[in-house]
Order: sequence, then C-alpha cells, then structure tokens
Amino acid sequence: MAMRQTPLTCSGHTRPVVDLAFSGITPYGYFLISACKDGKPMMRHGDTGDWIGTFLGHKGAVWGATLNTDATKAATAAADFTAKVWDAVSGDEVLTLAHKHIVKTVNFTKDSTCLLTGGNDKLLRLYDLINPEAAPQEIAGHTSAIKKALWCNNDKQILSAADDKTIRLWDRSSMEEVKQLKFDTAVSSMEYLADGEILVITYGKTIGFYNALSLDLIKTVDAPAPINSASLHPDKDFFVAGGEDFKLYKFDYGTKEELESYKGHFGPVHCVRFSPDGELYASGSEDGTLRLWQTAVGKTYGLWKCVLPEELGLENSEPLYTTPPEIKA
Amino acid sequence: MATPVSVLRLPKGPDPNSRGFDPKSPRFIALCRTSIATSASSETNAEQLPIEQHARSVLRETFLRCLLSMTNKKVQFLMHERVKVEATFGASDIDVLNFQVSDLHTPIGVQKEALIRCQDVISFTCDS
Repeated sequence: MAMRQTPLTCSGHTRPVVDLAFSGITPYGYFLISACKDGKPMMRHGDTGDWIGTFLGHKGAVWGATLNTDATKAATAAADFTAKVWDAVSGDEVLTLAHKHIVKTVNFTKDSTCLLTGGNDKLLRLYDLINPEAAPQEIAGHTSAIKKALWCNNDKQILSAADDKTIRLWDRSSMEEVKQLKFDTAVSSMEYLADGEILVITYGKTIGFYNALSLDLIKTVDAPAPINSASLHPDKDFFVAGGEDFKLYKFDYGTKEELESYKGHFGPVHCVRFSPDGELYASGSEDGTLRLWQTAVGKTYGLWKCVLPEELGLENSEPLYTTPPEIKA
Repeated sequence: MATPVSVLRLPKGPDPNSRGFDPKSPRFIALCRTSIATSASSETNAEQLPIEQHARSVLRETFLRCLLSMTNKKVQFLMHERVKVEATFGASDIDVLNFQVSDLHTPIGVQKEALIRCQDVISFTCDS
C-alpha cells in the first residue's frame, strides 16, 4: 500500500528561512540550526524538529548559520555586519566578530579552532578561535559578494561561491587561489560532502556535481524549475532539490531520474539539507517555516510512525495524530 | 488513494517566555561549564588542561576526605549575616547543598537535629 509523505512543519520563525545546517551525530543525537531574516536563529533537535533554543543578539537578518560537528558551538552570519559564535549548549553569545559589510556565510573547521566567514565585502576571513583577539587572515580575489564559503579537503582548502559567477578553490596555508569554475549565471548554493569529496552546486535549473579536489564535473541534472538549494544523500543514492516553484524534488543520483516531488511550502524553498544519518531532509522556505521530510516514506523514525494495515481498522488502537489540536484562545 | 504517514505529534515550537536551552536537559547538565571556568572554555593551552584536571581532582578528593573526617566531630560554621554556630557534623548530601548536623548551638538555643544550607556557609573549621 502506497504511503503519502507527511512533512513535519517547524514553526517559530516570523520571516523567511534562508539557511539551515545539521550538526554531526553526537551522543545526544543530532541538531539543526536555521538562519532567518527575523534575526533570531534557532536550534532544534534534528530528528524531531523540537525547538531547543533561540540565539538572541543579532540586530539584523541572519543570512548564514552553522553548528560544529559535536553541536557544542554555533556560528551565525548577519546583516548587522557581524558574525557571532555561540555556546550551543547554553545559548550564550561567546564572540562577536566585526566585519565591514553584511556577512553571509560561516563555517567551522572539524576541530572548531578556526571560523571561516564571507560576505558582501568580497573577502574570506579566517578567525583563530583560540586567539580571537588576533586579526583574522584575509583572502581577497572575488569581485562580488561571497555567498557561501566552506572548508574542504580535511580543512586544508577553502571553497567559495560568489555573485561574480565563480566558485574558487583556495589553499589555506598559501592563501592563494588554486582553481576556479566559471558559470553563466549566479550559483545559488553549494554543499560539500567530505566522504567522497563531492561538491553539489545549484545554478538556474541545474544541479551540478563536481569533484571537490579537482573541480572536475561529475554530472549535471536539470530540474523542472529554478533551484535554490540541493543536497546529496550521505549514501550518494539520492539527492533532493528545492527552489522557486515551492516544491521539493527527489532524484536518483545514479540514473538522474526524477523520483518524487512534494508540495508543502507556501513560498520558494531557500535551503535543503539531508540529516547526517540520511533518514530525513530539512527544507527552509520564504514562508518562514522549516519542514522535515522522510527519506523512506512510511518508516518509523523520529515523530513518524509506521502503521501496519491491520492496525488501521482496529477500534481499540490508540488514536494516531492526524489533525492539529485546537489551541485555546 | 495513498494513506498519509501517521505522526505521533507536531514538532514542539518555541517557548514564548524564554530563549530556551533548558538547563535541566541531560545535554546541558553534562556539557555546561562549572562555576569556575576551566582553561578549556577559552582553549588557551591544550597542554595545560591535563595538569588543570589533575589539580581539580586533587582538590575535589581533599574536600571529600575532609568531609569524611569531620563525621561526629565538633565543627564551627561561619555563615552570612555574621552568624557563627557550632554543631556536631553528621553528613553532607550528594550535591553538597545541605549538611546534616546534631546539637546545633544557636543564640536562641540548641537544636538537636538540623540541616544547614551550604550556600549560606562561608567557611567551616574543625579540630582534627
């Protein structure tokens, strides 16, 4: 019997959700952080979407958010010209890093000792979190605002995507540009998978997969609508993409076939990411919500419960949740 | 007609009254800093950390042995509001929140059995 996907909606943000990131798998589970134009990034349990806390302090839209691998630290990039580092257990602000323009992207190294930032001042900055008072190292080169910057190749290199329609690979020690990819249109998103060194790039209606070390093209897949973000499953069998037509698309990575499309959001999808265990993916939208989607529809996981056909008709069975409860005024 | 997947409940939303990060959650209790910050929190020196941890263990052990050795001995407590009292020490609870004492001498009389709230205690002395 076919099961229909039930997305879980995480409410709380009051403006568009523009970025989201998962932590690694920790002894306490895994976590999710969302960046929102309302200036209040939120942290949630990754498998249920339950809210844990809100990082309060930014005075402008938050454009980028990330968690370190063990979810003990968070970093955010905002329109108030600062990037902030937070204690992700207590929610306290730990560091404010002043920039000269809107900050768009933040990324921790694996050992959380260095924070990479990028934004509208076209510079990549490397902050030493052990000596935060020290001036950051700066990498210049991009000719337009930087949209996304990531550590790659075991934190030895940096990948950056900017509005100058290029993606550049930099060497951390020499701070020099190693390679460049040029596109005809602006790159809307970038995801890096360390396992397999794969780079997932979206531009126009295309999702491109590249070797992250050589920047050689692996393959491209075209979607029915302009795509803002895509994510490849950790096992590299599926990828998901979302964009301007409000839908989430699921494709087979091997055959490039479109497998499913899901409606649900009421606005363009800005970001989509698979969870570290691949069991679900989260999407953030212009409609101010995050939605969690199952990879294997119908499986018991998190808040989703698999109900066998025999159980559905029983009078004694517990009523399963299907409609939202009335909230008393 | 496909059946929608059943869901146990909706994800919990934000608490309108607080910014969250529940201090009672297991993760907070396990990971949050103690009242005296370690060097680890500012990550000044990775080599110093084992030395600091050793010092902390030594101090903790000394404190616990001190509590053990005080059992059934007369102890003088110096407390807030210029309170000085003497009592026979019984035991401490596991979080060192309360001391159980007997024959507590107070300005208004002797309490046979009493609990002293540790956060009110500034110092205590005992003849060994």
